Amino acid sequence: MAAQQGPNALKTSLPEAYAAMNAQQPPPSYTHPSQEQQDKYLQGRPGATQHHLEVALQHAQQIQTQKDAEDVILNHILDLLDLPSSPSANPATPDIEDTNKFKGALIPFRPSDYDNLILERNYGDLCGYTLCPRKHRKQKPGAGGGFQFKYGPKGSGPGGRGRSVDIVPQDQVEKWCSDACAERALWIRVQLSEEPVWERRGDNTRGTNILLLEEARAKRLLAPAATGTVSAVVDDLNNLMLANPDRSRELAVERGDTSSVNRNGRVPITLQENAGKQRAEAPQMRPDDVAGGSIEGYVPRQDRAVDEDGDIDLFDQI
Amino acid sequence: MDGDAAHSMEAEREMTRLWRTFRTVYELLADRGYEVSDNELALPLAEFREKYSDSLGFVERSKMKIQARPTELMKMKYTPLPSKANPNPQPDCGTIYVDFCPDASGVGTKQVRAFNHLVDENNFHTGIFITQTPISPSAVRLLSGVPGRICEHFQEQDLLVNITRHELVPKHVLLSPEEKAKLLERYRLKESQLPRIQVSDPVARYLGLRRGQVVKIIRKSETAGRYASYRWVI
Repeated sequence: MAAQQGPNALKTSLPEAYAAMNAQQPPPSYTHPSQEQQDKYLQGRPGATQHHLEVALQHAQQIQTQKDAEDVILNHILDLLDLPSSPSANPATPDIEDTNKFKGALIPFRPSDYDNLILERNYGDLCGYTLCPRKHRKQKPGAGGGFQFKYGPKGSGPGGRGRSVDIVPQDQVEKWCSDACAERALWIRVQLSEEPVWERRGDNTRGTNILLLEEARAKRLLAPAATGTVSAVVDDLNNLMLANPDRSRELAVERGDTSSVNRNGRVPITLQENAGKQRAEAPQMRPDDVAGGSIEGYVPRQDRAVDEDGDIDLFDQI
Repeated sequence: MDGDAAHSMEAEREMTRLWRTFRTVYELLADRGYEVSDNELALPLAEFREKYSDSLGFVERSKMKIQARPTELMKMKYTPLPSKANPNPQPDCGTIYVDFCPDASGVGTKQVRAFNHLVDENNFHTGIFITQTPISPSAVRLLSGVPGRICEHFQEQDLLVNITRHELVPKHVLLSPEEKAKLLERYRLKESQLPRIQVSDPVARYLGLRRGQVVKIIRKSETAGRYASYRWVI
């Protein structure tokens, strides 16, 4: 019975509860084996070397990080289902605490994870936008129901209510409580990084500084209005400081051109130049070449003074 | 009056469909090696209707719960070979619990969490969660994430007919660890040299196979009568 007490002692289905319990225990020995264990493992396998084992361990650790990251994302989805904290919250002016929690939880998300969150919230009968406490809308069946149109004579179609065509798929429309919330939620979605969290690098800031739609709009209003004069444009270009190498590297990162960033990446690359070859030399004139010389041993007829039969041809004379 | 007739016809259809699913579940349990009585295997529709319908004639899914214990044969098949570290191994199987989800749509993490909790609380070894619609991706992850327990998911329509009874599906037999060791010794193989079958294969899902097990597949052959092949579950 004592053996059964191990993982079964926890009467919950929350993954984070298990994660917390696992965190108390040392990391599983199979991902970080001691030197003794490694030696023992290698002894049984004559063809394997320490290098093979290290490669295998590196891959195992990568897979483990990936699984851990997926668990974290799942926990965040479950957390975000409970937002907003008050049932009377207004999605246009959200609570600061909720906003920070929302933004913080979104950092490891990919757009597909965010879609899962929306789906989960809809299953819980909530608007897909996390900071909105309202229910998601239901399309009204029948005429005036919104995104449908009717055709055909009266009494045709199923139930005699005319044939209908959905213009927008029903589940797309029913994700949100209103168009405003749809805009807010999709604005968040475009800011998320497509890269899975276990492949992101420290200097990739996409997906970490998420702005709500309201914040982005306020920022745009505060920014000085763009002026149309030529001098202003020239000033702006000068302000960009394209010649500055730091600035241009930043711009490169912004475009997603990270080749310079990768320089100290995971793969150690040592550049090896080929040994310099001797410089090619131009051919020099030899004495025979004045008349054109021979072509692979054949001397063209024009260059010969005397024909094969010993006399000078009339044709050549002409 | 007309509406009533349509109503009851719909209820009757659903009843019949669910009866078929219910019977397939019992067949599945019997095929996996759990204790199932002959009465349960041949449950007639009338009895099913009597037992599980509500006052309006609709099926009450919340009543449909099944528990079964493994037979001695199954325990034998799930007992790993004794090793130095573990000289007296225990079978890795136990009571199974089957639950039909009553929600008609939108089955997400909420329902799965409740199911996981139930399986954990009652100390079931394996749980099978049967829903009417597909469940959300997060729910799938949550279902497979309970340490020490095995939770599986099926849709009702997947179990409407028993796929292993189809004439084109050959017989799959799970090998016990001893049989597997004998097979590998006889053919001088490593297990990784066997042909493979995925855990997500419909028959593998039906039999609840786990990674590392070996199934023997017995086909009819025109020349040899019977032809057996072996597959390693990955």
